[in-house]
Amino acid sequence: MGRKMMSRKKPMIFLGLTLVLFASLYAFLQDSMAEKPSQQPAKNLHQPVLVDSTKCIATKEFMRANHMRVLNEWRNSSVREGDRIFVAPNGSKLEKSLNTCLGCHKNNKLFCFNCHMYANVKPKCWNCHISAMESP
Amino acid sequence: MMNEERRAFIRKSGLGILACLGAASGLIPKFSLEKTILPAWDEKPVPGKIRWGMLIDTRKCTEGCKECIAQCHHVHNVPDFNNRKEEVKWIWKSSYNKVFPTASQQFQSEKIAGRSYLALCNHCAESPCTRVCPTEATFRRWDGIVAMDYHRCIGCRFCMAACPYGSRSFNWQDPRTAIKDPSIAYPTREQGVVEKCNFCSDRLVKGLLPACVEACPQQVMTFGDLNDPKSDIRRLIENNETMQRKPELGTKPSVFYII
Repeated sequence: MGRKMMSRKKPMIFLGLTLVLFASLYAFLQDSMAEKPSQQPAKNLHQPVLVDSTKCIATKEFMRANHMRVLNEWRNSSVREGDRIFVAPNGSKLEKSLNTCLGCHKNNKLFCFNCHMYANVKPKCWNCHISAMESP
Repeated sequence: MMNEERRAFIRKSGLGILACLGAASGLIPKFSLEKTILPAWDEKPVPGKIRWGMLIDTRKCTEGCKECIAQCHHVHNVPDFNNRKEEVKWIWKSSYNKVFPTASQQFQSEKIAGRSYLALCNHCAESPCTRVCPTEATFRRWDGIVAMDYHRCIGCRFCMAACPYGSRSFNWQDPRTAIKDPSIAYPTREQGVVEKCNFCSDRLVKGLLPACVEACPQQVMTFGDLNDPKSDIRRLIENNETMQRKPELGTKPSVFYII
Protein backbone atom coordinates (compact mmCIF):
# COMPACT_ATOMS: atom_id res chain seq x y z
CA MET A 1 0.00 0.00 0.00
CA GLY A 2 2.70 2.46 1.13
CA ARG A 3 4.99 1.57 -1.83
CA LYS A 4 2.13 2.07 -4.30
CA MET A 5 1.46 5.54 -2.85
CA MET A 6 5.15 6.46 -3.24
CA SER A 7 5.27 5.53 -6.94
CA ARG A 8 2.14 7.57 -7.57
CA LYS A 9 3.59 10.64 -5.76
CA LYS A 10 7.00 10.49 -7.49
CA PRO A 11 6.17 12.94 -10.33
CA MET A 12 4.71 15.33 -7.76
CA ILE A 13 7.95 15.24 -5.76
CA PHE A 14 10.05 16.01 -8.81
CA LEU A 15 7.69 18.79 -9.82
CA GLY A 16 8.09 20.26 -6.36
CA LEU A 17 11.88 19.99 -6.55
CA THR A 18 12.03 21.76 -9.94
CA LEU A 19 9.79 24.48 -8.53
CA VAL A 20 12.16 24.95 -5.58
CA LEU A 21 15.15 24.99 -7.95
CA PHE A 22 13.54 27.57 -10.23
CA ALA A 23 12.51 29.75 -7.30
CA SER A 24 16.02 29.74 -5.86
CA LEU A 25 17.57 30.52 -9.26
CA TYR A 26 15.01 33.20 -10.11
CA ALA A 27 16.99 36.03 -8.55
CA PHE A 28 20.19 35.06 -10.39
CA LEU A 29 18.40 34.59 -13.72
CA GLN A 30 17.51 38.26 -13.70
CA ASP A 31 21.14 39.12 -13.23
CA SER A 32 22.34 37.05 -16.19
CA MET A 33 19.59 38.43 -18.40
CA ALA A 34 20.44 42.05 -17.55
CA GLU A 35 21.79 44.24 -20.33
CA LYS A 36 25.53 43.88 -20.74
CA PRO A 37 27.71 46.98 -20.39
CA SER A 38 28.18 48.37 -23.87
CA GLN A 39 31.56 47.90 -25.47
CA GLN A 40 33.86 50.87 -25.87
CA PRO A 41 34.64 52.07 -29.37
CA ALA A 42 37.66 50.21 -30.66
CA LYS A 43 39.83 53.24 -31.31
CA ASN A 44 38.84 54.93 -28.09
CA LEU A 45 39.33 58.31 -29.70
CA HIS A 46 36.83 61.05 -29.09
CA GLN A 47 33.93 61.22 -31.45
CA PRO A 48 33.56 64.54 -33.20
CA VAL A 49 30.65 66.54 -31.84
CA LEU A 50 27.92 67.36 -34.29
CA VAL A 51 27.63 71.10 -34.37
CA ASP A 52 24.47 72.88 -35.32
CA SER A 53 25.71 76.40 -35.87
CA THR A 54 22.75 77.69 -37.80
CA LYS A 55 21.16 79.40 -34.82
CA CYS A 56 22.37 81.97 -32.34
CA ILE A 57 23.14 80.58 -28.91
CA ALA A 58 21.34 83.42 -27.09
CA THR A 59 19.62 86.70 -27.77
CA LYS A 60 21.49 89.61 -29.30
CA GLU A 61 21.06 91.71 -26.16
CA PHE A 62 22.41 88.98 -23.90
CA MET A 63 25.41 88.30 -26.12
CA ARG A 64 26.25 92.00 -26.44
CA ALA A 65 26.60 92.24 -22.68
CA ASN A 66 27.93 88.77 -21.87
CA HIS A 67 29.87 87.31 -24.80
CA MET A 68 33.14 87.58 -22.90
CA ARG A 69 31.69 85.67 -19.95
CA VAL A 70 30.34 82.99 -22.26
CA LEU A 71 33.76 82.64 -23.88
CA ASN A 72 35.49 82.42 -20.50
CA GLU A 73 33.08 79.78 -19.26
CA TRP A 74 33.36 77.81 -22.46
CA ARG A 75 37.13 77.82 -22.30
CA ASN A 76 37.34 76.75 -18.69
CA SER A 77 34.80 73.95 -18.91
CA SER A 78 35.96 72.57 -22.24
CA VAL A 79 39.72 72.87 -21.76
CA ARG A 80 39.86 71.83 -18.12
CA GLU A 81 36.95 69.43 -17.68
CA GLY A 82 36.47 68.24 -21.24
CA ASP A 83 32.82 69.26 -21.16
CA ARG A 84 32.78 70.30 -24.79
CA ILE A 85 29.10 70.41 -25.65
CA PHE A 86 26.95 73.46 -25.04
CA VAL A 87 23.20 72.99 -25.19
CA ALA A 88 21.53 76.21 -26.25
CA PRO A 89 18.14 77.19 -24.76
CA ASN A 90 16.50 76.14 -28.04
CA GLY A 91 17.99 72.63 -27.71
CA SER A 92 20.65 72.82 -30.40
CA LYS A 93 24.03 71.42 -29.45
CA LEU A 94 27.18 73.41 -30.07
CA GLU A 95 30.85 72.78 -29.58
CA LYS A 96 32.34 75.09 -26.99
CA SER A 97 34.93 76.73 -29.19
CA LEU A 98 35.74 80.15 -30.53
CA ASN A 99 35.55 78.53 -33.93
CA THR A 100 31.84 77.85 -33.37
CA CYS A 101 31.28 81.60 -33.03
CA LEU A 102 33.49 82.38 -35.99
CA GLY A 103 31.69 79.76 -38.04
CA CYS A 104 28.91 82.31 -38.61
CA HIS A 105 30.32 85.62 -37.51
CA LYS A 106 33.34 85.35 -39.79
CA ASN A 107 30.99 86.41 -42.58
CA ASN A 108 31.42 89.94 -41.38
CA LYS A 109 35.14 90.47 -41.12
CA LEU A 110 34.68 93.55 -38.97
CA PHE A 111 32.18 91.91 -36.63
CA CYS A 112 34.47 91.99 -33.58
CA PHE A 113 36.63 94.94 -34.50
CA ASN A 114 33.97 97.58 -35.21
CA CYS A 115 32.35 97.29 -31.85
CA HIS A 116 35.58 96.92 -29.86
CA MET A 117 36.94 99.98 -31.58
CA TYR A 118 33.79 101.95 -30.84
CA ALA A 119 33.83 100.87 -27.19
CA ASN A 120 37.59 101.40 -27.00
CA VAL A 121 38.30 97.98 -25.53
CA LYS A 122 41.40 96.05 -26.51
CA PRO A 123 40.89 92.34 -25.84
CA LYS A 124 43.92 90.12 -26.44
CA CYS A 125 42.07 87.38 -28.33
CA TRP A 126 43.77 88.03 -31.64
CA ASN A 127 47.28 88.00 -30.21
CA CYS A 128 47.05 84.24 -30.63
CA HIS A 129 43.75 83.28 -32.26
CA ILE A 130 43.54 83.91 -35.98
CA SER A 131 40.91 86.56 -36.61
CA ALA A 132 38.59 86.84 -39.57
CA MET A 133 40.74 89.71 -40.83
CA GLU A 134 43.79 87.46 -41.11
CA SER A 135 42.16 84.33 -42.47
CA PRO A 136 41.11 84.13 -46.11
CA MET B 1 -2.45 7.87 11.91
CA MET B 2 1.06 8.88 12.81
CA ASN B 3 2.15 8.54 9.18
CA GLU B 4 -0.62 10.81 7.97
CA GLU B 5 0.44 13.53 10.42
CA ARG B 6 4.05 13.35 9.32
CA ARG B 7 3.05 13.65 5.66
CA ALA B 8 0.92 16.71 6.41
CA PHE B 9 3.83 18.26 8.27
CA ILE B 10 6.25 17.65 5.39
CA ARG B 11 3.75 18.98 2.87
CA LYS B 12 3.17 22.15 4.88
CA SER B 13 6.83 22.79 5.55
CA GLY B 14 7.56 22.30 1.83
CA LEU B 15 4.96 24.92 0.96
CA GLY B 16 6.45 27.17 3.59
CA ILE B 17 9.94 26.88 2.05
CA LEU B 18 8.54 27.68 -1.39
CA ALA B 19 6.77 30.74 -0.06
CA CYS B 20 9.93 31.90 1.69
CA LEU B 21 12.01 31.57 -1.49
CA GLY B 22 9.40 33.42 -3.52
CA ALA B 23 9.34 36.24 -1.01
CA ALA B 24 13.15 36.35 -0.80
CA SER B 25 13.60 36.69 -4.57
CA GLY B 26 11.30 39.70 -4.45
CA LEU B 27 12.79 41.19 -1.32
CA ILE B 28 16.51 40.93 -2.18
CA PRO B 29 17.37 44.42 -3.41
CA LYS B 30 17.77 44.43 -7.16
CA PHE B 31 20.71 46.81 -7.27
CA SER B 32 22.91 44.24 -5.61
CA LEU B 33 22.36 41.88 -8.53
CA GLU B 34 21.93 44.08 -11.57
CA LYS B 35 24.93 44.94 -13.71
CA THR B 36 25.72 48.59 -14.16
CA ILE B 37 24.91 49.81 -17.64
CA LEU B 38 27.61 52.18 -18.78
CA PRO B 39 26.70 54.74 -21.41
CA ALA B 40 28.50 54.10 -24.68
CA TRP B 41 29.66 57.69 -24.90
CA ASP B 42 29.50 59.94 -21.89
CA GLU B 43 29.63 63.58 -22.82
CA LYS B 44 31.77 64.55 -19.85
CA PRO B 45 34.91 62.41 -19.75
CA VAL B 46 35.74 60.36 -16.68
CA PRO B 47 39.05 61.54 -15.23
CA GLY B 48 41.74 58.88 -15.36
CA LYS B 49 39.84 56.47 -17.58
CA ILE B 50 42.09 57.02 -20.57
CA ARG B 51 45.82 57.63 -20.48
CA TRP B 52 47.18 58.49 -23.89
CA GLY B 53 50.64 57.23 -24.63
CA MET B 54 53.08 56.85 -27.47
CA LEU B 55 55.55 54.16 -28.41
CA ILE B 56 58.46 55.14 -30.66
CA ASP B 57 60.12 52.27 -32.48
CA THR B 58 63.51 53.89 -33.07
CA ARG B 59 64.70 50.90 -35.13
CA LYS B 60 62.39 51.99 -37.95
CA CYS B 61 63.16 55.74 -37.72
CA THR B 62 65.11 56.97 -40.74
CA GLU B 63 68.22 59.02 -39.99
CA GLY B 64 67.82 62.56 -41.27
CA CYS B 65 64.07 62.31 -41.87
CA LYS B 66 62.17 65.23 -40.35
CA GLU B 67 58.68 64.65 -41.69
CA CYS B 68 57.02 64.41 -38.27
CA ILE B 69 58.77 67.53 -36.99
CA ALA B 70 57.82 69.56 -40.05
CA GLN B 71 54.20 68.42 -39.94
CA CYS B 72 53.80 69.04 -36.19
CA HIS B 73 55.39 72.47 -36.35
CA HIS B 74 53.28 73.43 -39.34
CA VAL B 75 49.98 72.23 -37.84
CA HIS B 76 50.58 73.99 -34.54
CA ASN B 77 52.18 77.20 -35.84
CA VAL B 78 55.46 76.61 -34.03
CA PRO B 79 57.83 79.50 -34.81
CA ASP B 80 61.34 79.00 -36.17
CA PHE B 81 63.68 81.83 -35.19
CA ASN B 82 66.72 80.14 -36.72
CA ASN B 83 68.54 80.72 -33.47
CA ARG B 84 69.43 78.01 -30.93
CA LYS B 85 69.02 80.39 -28.02
CA GLU B 86 65.43 81.26 -28.88
CA GLU B 87 64.51 77.88 -30.30
CA VAL B 88 60.89 76.81 -29.87
CA LYS B 89 60.25 73.10 -30.31
CA TRP B 90 57.44 70.63 -29.75
CA ILE B 91 59.13 67.56 -31.21
CA TRP B 92 62.77 67.24 -32.11
CA LYS B 93 65.63 64.85 -32.75
CA SER B 94 68.64 64.53 -30.51
CA SER B 95 71.57 62.22 -29.88
CA TYR B 96 71.39 59.07 -27.75
CA ASN B 97 73.40 60.63 -24.94
CA LYS B 98 71.10 63.63 -24.75
CA VAL B 99 67.82 61.73 -24.96
CA PHE B 100 68.88 58.90 -22.64
CA PRO B 101 71.65 60.41 -20.50
CA THR B 102 71.01 57.99 -17.64
CA ALA B 103 70.45 54.81 -19.65
CA SER B 104 71.81 51.85 -17.73
CA GLN B 105 73.47 50.24 -20.76
CA GLN B 106 77.08 51.26 -20.25
CA PHE B 107 78.88 50.21 -23.42
CA GLN B 108 76.18 50.81 -25.95
CA SER B 109 77.00 49.75 -29.49
CA GLU B 110 78.20 52.42 -31.88
CA LYS B 111 75.21 51.77 -34.12
CA ILE B 112 72.69 52.56 -31.39
CA ALA B 113 74.61 55.38 -29.69
CA GLY B 114 75.25 57.05 -33.04
CA ARG B 115 71.63 57.35 -34.10
CA SER B 116 69.43 60.34 -33.34
CA TYR B 117 66.24 59.89 -31.35
CA LEU B 118 62.87 61.59 -31.39
CA ALA B 119 61.99 63.52 -28.27
CA LEU B 120 58.80 65.26 -27.28
CA CYS B 121 56.84 66.06 -24.15
CA ASN B 122 56.48 62.81 -22.19
CA HIS B 123 53.07 63.69 -20.74
CA CYS B 124 54.24 62.25 -17.44
CA ALA B 125 51.81 60.64 -15.04
CA GLU B 126 53.71 62.39 -12.24
CA SER B 127 54.46 65.60 -14.09
CA PRO B 128 56.76 67.98 -12.24
CA CYS B 129 55.84 70.92 -14.48
CA THR B 130 52.20 70.95 -13.41
CA ARG B 131 53.21 70.92 -9.76
CA VAL B 132 55.29 74.06 -9.96
CA CYS B 133 52.99 76.14 -12.16
CA PRO B 134 51.74 78.96 -9.92
CA THR B 135 48.69 79.78 -12.06
CA GLU B 136 47.65 76.26 -13.06
CA ALA B 137 48.24 77.28 -16.64
CA THR B 138 49.69 73.83 -17.22
CA PHE B 139 47.73 70.93 -15.83
CA ARG B 140 47.16 67.20 -16.27
CA ARG B 141 44.00 66.55 -18.20
CA TRP B 142 41.41 63.83 -17.60
CA ASP B 143 43.05 61.73 -20.35
CA GLY B 144 46.64 62.00 -19.10
CA ILE B 145 47.68 64.78 -21.45
CA VAL B 146 49.73 67.53 -19.83
CA ALA B 147 48.00 70.53 -21.36
CA MET B 148 48.72 74.23 -21.47
CA ASP B 149 46.19 77.01 -21.09
CA TYR B 150 48.12 79.83 -22.72
CA HIS B 151 45.58 82.35 -21.45
CA ARG B 152 46.80 81.78 -17.93
CA CYS B 153 50.54 81.51 -18.56
CA ILE B 154 52.43 84.42 -17.01
CA GLY B 155 55.79 83.36 -18.41
CA CYS B 156 57.50 82.65 -15.09
CA ARG B 157 59.24 79.59 -16.63
CA PHE B 158 59.06 77.51 -13.43
CA CYS B 159 57.77 74.66 -15.58
CA MET B 160 60.81 74.90 -17.85
CA ALA B 161 63.05 74.56 -14.82
CA ALA B 162 61.02 71.66 -13.49
CA CYS B 163 60.84 69.64 -16.72
CA PRO B 164 63.74 67.16 -16.77
CA TYR B 165 63.37 66.59 -20.51
CA GLY B 166 63.67 70.11 -21.91
CA SER B 167 60.26 69.74 -23.51
CA ARG B 168 59.21 73.32 -22.93
CA SER B 169 60.18 76.41 -24.87
CA PHE B 170 59.75 80.06 -24.10
CA ASN B 171 58.65 82.69 -26.58
CA TRP B 172 61.25 85.38 -26.14
CA GLN B 173 59.87 87.24 -29.13
CA ASP B 174 56.52 87.54 -30.85
CA PRO B 175 56.27 84.14 -32.54
CA ARG B 176 54.00 85.38 -35.32
CA THR B 177 56.92 86.93 -37.15
CA ALA B 178 58.72 83.57 -37.32
CA ILE B 179 55.96 81.32 -38.65
CA LYS B 180 56.74 80.64 -42.27
CA ASP B 181 53.79 78.48 -43.25
CA PRO B 182 50.94 79.26 -40.84
CA SER B 183 47.89 77.03 -40.53
CA ILE B 184 44.72 78.98 -39.80
CA ALA B 185 43.07 76.05 -38.06
CA TYR B 186 45.18 76.48 -34.90
CA PRO B 187 46.09 79.58 -32.89
CA THR B 188 49.61 80.85 -32.42
CA ARG B 189 51.14 81.84 -29.11
CA GLU B 190 52.24 85.29 -28.03
CA GLN B 191 55.42 86.73 -26.63
CA GLY B 192 56.08 85.75 -23.02
CA VAL B 193 54.37 82.38 -22.80
CA VAL B 194 55.79 78.88 -22.54
CA GLU B 195 54.71 76.32 -25.12
CA LYS B 196 55.09 72.60 -25.69
CA CYS B 197 53.64 69.51 -27.37
CA ASN B 198 49.94 69.04 -26.61
CA PHE B 199 49.80 65.37 -27.79
CA CYS B 200 47.55 66.77 -30.53
CA SER B 201 44.57 67.20 -28.21
CA ASP B 202 43.21 69.48 -30.95
CA ARG B 203 43.22 66.55 -33.38
CA LEU B 204 42.07 63.92 -30.87
CA VAL B 205 38.76 65.74 -30.36
CA LYS B 206 38.19 65.43 -34.08
CA GLY B 207 38.93 61.70 -33.93
CA LEU B 208 42.28 62.06 -35.67
CA LEU B 209 45.64 60.63 -34.66
CA PRO B 210 48.47 63.02 -33.72
CA ALA B 211 50.06 64.84 -36.64
CA CYS B 212 53.50 63.26 -36.12
CA VAL B 213 52.05 59.74 -36.03
CA GLU B 214 50.22 60.37 -39.27
CA ALA B 215 53.12 62.12 -41.00
CA CYS B 216 55.71 59.41 -40.36
CA PRO B 217 56.40 57.46 -43.57
CA GLN B 218 57.78 54.47 -41.59
CA GLN B 219 54.98 54.23 -38.98
CA VAL B 220 57.56 54.60 -36.25
CA MET B 221 55.07 55.87 -33.70
CA THR B 222 52.14 54.02 -32.14
CA PHE B 223 49.58 56.10 -30.32
CA GLY B 224 47.01 54.63 -27.96
CA ASP B 225 45.42 54.26 -24.57
CA LEU B 226 47.88 52.95 -21.97
CA ASN B 227 44.99 52.11 -19.63
CA ASP B 228 43.44 49.72 -22.15
CA PRO B 229 45.14 46.31 -21.85
CA LYS B 230 43.92 45.35 -25.32
CA SER B 231 45.29 48.40 -27.15
CA ASP B 232 48.05 48.10 -29.76
CA ILE B 233 50.43 50.18 -27.70
CA ARG B 234 50.03 47.97 -24.63
CA ARG B 235 50.53 44.84 -26.70
CA LEU B 236 53.72 46.29 -28.20
CA ILE B 237 55.04 47.38 -24.80
CA GLU B 238 54.38 43.92 -23.40
CA ASN B 239 56.05 42.12 -26.31
CA ASN B 240 59.12 44.33 -26.66
CA GLU B 241 61.84 45.63 -24.43
CA THR B 242 61.08 49.31 -24.03
CA MET B 243 62.71 52.32 -22.44
CA GLN B 244 61.47 55.58 -20.99
CA ARG B 245 63.49 58.75 -20.62
CA LYS B 246 65.05 59.13 -17.15
CA PRO B 247 62.70 56.62 -15.50
CA GLU B 248 64.61 56.91 -12.21
CA LEU B 249 63.10 60.36 -11.62
CA GLY B 250 59.70 58.79 -11.04
CA THR B 251 57.89 61.05 -13.48
CA LYS B 252 56.28 58.02 -15.19
CA PRO B 253 56.54 59.19 -18.80
CA SER B 254 53.83 58.16 -21.25
CA VAL B 255 56.28 58.02 -24.15
CA PHE B 256 58.04 54.68 -24.60
CA TYR B 257 60.97 53.77 -26.83
CA ILE B 258 62.06 50.56 -28.51
CA ILE B 259 65.80 50.84 -29.00
